[in-house]
Amino acid sequence: MKTRLFPITLLLLGLVLAIFLSAGLVQAALGESAESVESDQKALSAVRRTIKTSTVYTVHEIRTEAMTIREYVAPSGVVFGIAWNGLTHPDLTPLLGSYNSEYKKAARKTKRQPGRRHVQVKTDGVVVEKWGHMRNLQGRAYAPDLIPQGVSIDEIK
Amino acid sequence: MKLNKLPFFILISLLVISCSGGGTTGASTVSSMNNVLPITVNGSLCSSNSYPNKPCVSVTVCSPGTSTCQTINDILLDTGASGLRIFKSVLTGVSFTQIPSGSGSLAECVQYADNSADWGPVQTADVILGGEPAVRVPIQIIYSTFGDPSVCATTGITLDTTPEEAGFNGILGVGLFAEDCGSTCTSFAGNGTYYACSGSTCTETTASITDQVQNPVSLLPTDNNGVILQLPSVPFGGAVSVNGTLVLGIGTQSNNTPSGVTMYPASPSTGDFTTIFNSKTYSDSFIDSASNGLFFNAGSISALTTCASGTAADWFCPSSTQSLSATTEGYADSPSGVVSFQIGNASTLFSSSNNVFIELGAPDKSFDWGLPFFLGRSVYVGIENKTSSLGTGPYWAY
Repeated sequence: MKTRLFPITLLLLGLVLAIFLSAGLVQAALGESAESVESDQKALSAVRRTIKTSTVYTVHEIRTEAMTIREYVAPSGVVFGIAWNGLTHPDLTPLLGSYNSEYKKAARKTKRQPGRRHVQVKTDGVVVEKWGHMRNLQGRAYAPDLIPQGVSIDEIK
Repeated sequence: MKLNKLPFFILISLLVISCSGGGTTGASTVSSMNNVLPITVNGSLCSSNSYPNKPCVSVTVCSPGTSTCQTINDILLDTGASGLRIFKSVLTGVSFTQIPSGSGSLAECVQYADNSADWGPVQTADVILGGEPAVRVPIQIIYSTFGDPSVCATTGITLDTTPEEAGFNGILGVGLFAEDCGSTCTSFAGNGTYYACSGSTCTETTASITDQVQNPVSLLPTDNNGVILQLPSVPFGGAVSVNGTLVLGIGTQSNNTPSGVTMYPASPSTGDFTTIFNSKTYSDSFIDSASNGLFFNAGSISALTTCASGTAADWFCPSSTQSLSATTEGYADSPSGVVSFQIGNASTLFSSSNNVFIELGAPDKSFDWGLPFFLGRSVYVGIENKTSSLGTGPYWAY
């Protein structure tokens, strides 16, 4: 039994790993390595460029015809903030990474205020804000604990 | 876009007959001109439990090419968007023509800044604004279970499901653009807005300009170059409701000749213009009748505290009403003009029996001139690529 199961287990492990890796490849997420930014660009079939490099952080911009996403990367290589604007909001699932479930839960609990054109959802780990209007919807997400020293939240825009 | 003459005549006749029996308090001039719609802010055209500073109009929709029509109140008047959207659940007796997309049906996802979104099919209806001839136009049917709603309800986003929780029966977008999406959606399938649905499968798609949800004003025979919103001012402390008018066309008839206003060009891609407030420049500023307050970044102004809890949570709650001013500019930095405004204590305002407030505001990242900006003003909304004596749209004038 053991010898028979082993290759199957290996195969399963490999499959799981492959799924995990491929999922990881297409997701550039808050709190994760900036290398995932490159995969995001591919997933969105977008143009990517570095638009700002300072001693404190680097900004990568990913641009499609409908949307621009900017990822703020700390010297450690970790994405600490994401900002966007465009025709729609991006699907935040890949962008929020491990913060996704707490954001989802908090967003569901946020009471709707008709007439307001701005929302802020705060959890222990992440802050997500949206504003703007049709043809220019904007937003940002950041992990306060990951923001490098000396960087103001206002710089994530 | 053309109607056969006979049903067209019937439509207009019906409209004239139905209008002569109506009439709205304080808007006696309405019936005399065909290009005027009454607006009520929290008045008779709004549902009785409306939220503060909600501008409502009434719109008539008809099954295309027929005289089967329905007049719907509690339609949110929105200068921050383009196109007509109506909840499926309020439509009775009228049926519209589904717009195809490939072998499926065209559907649309319209997301807003408050984590809400409208999802549903795009269908052609005959739409009657005021006493104007009917226009045949793609509108969105708000229908949260159509096809595969999950493509629209991405993480954190809640679809509008009923008029009660959304706060309106529909939205009439009379903004700066002729369509809601424009050229990007004609060529780029990953636009996040238009979808082709077959059964419960919906995939991203492009949509031609004529299939996109259109600003019905831009299709009117003559009064198609924009609109004017006219609302009276209210005293500090507010009013229960106010009546105003939506005038169709700019400089096309005797009742819409521009006078004493400055024209501010807006960005042809976003509709934004510039507001400078408290030494900061917001080049993504806009004017939006569907925003129910003045929403802006208070920055260093310490008097503009917010309420921490209660019905006014997250609204500005200064201990005394603050008189402020900002400079508005065309998107290319000219012209410029100063706008004065006030911010009062939202907690005090909301505890009154009033529902229309000129001094209502809340924090935002940009500068969104919401409904209070419209009170006591005539605000001109110039549609893209259309010309009036004020210039060529997109522009704002006030």
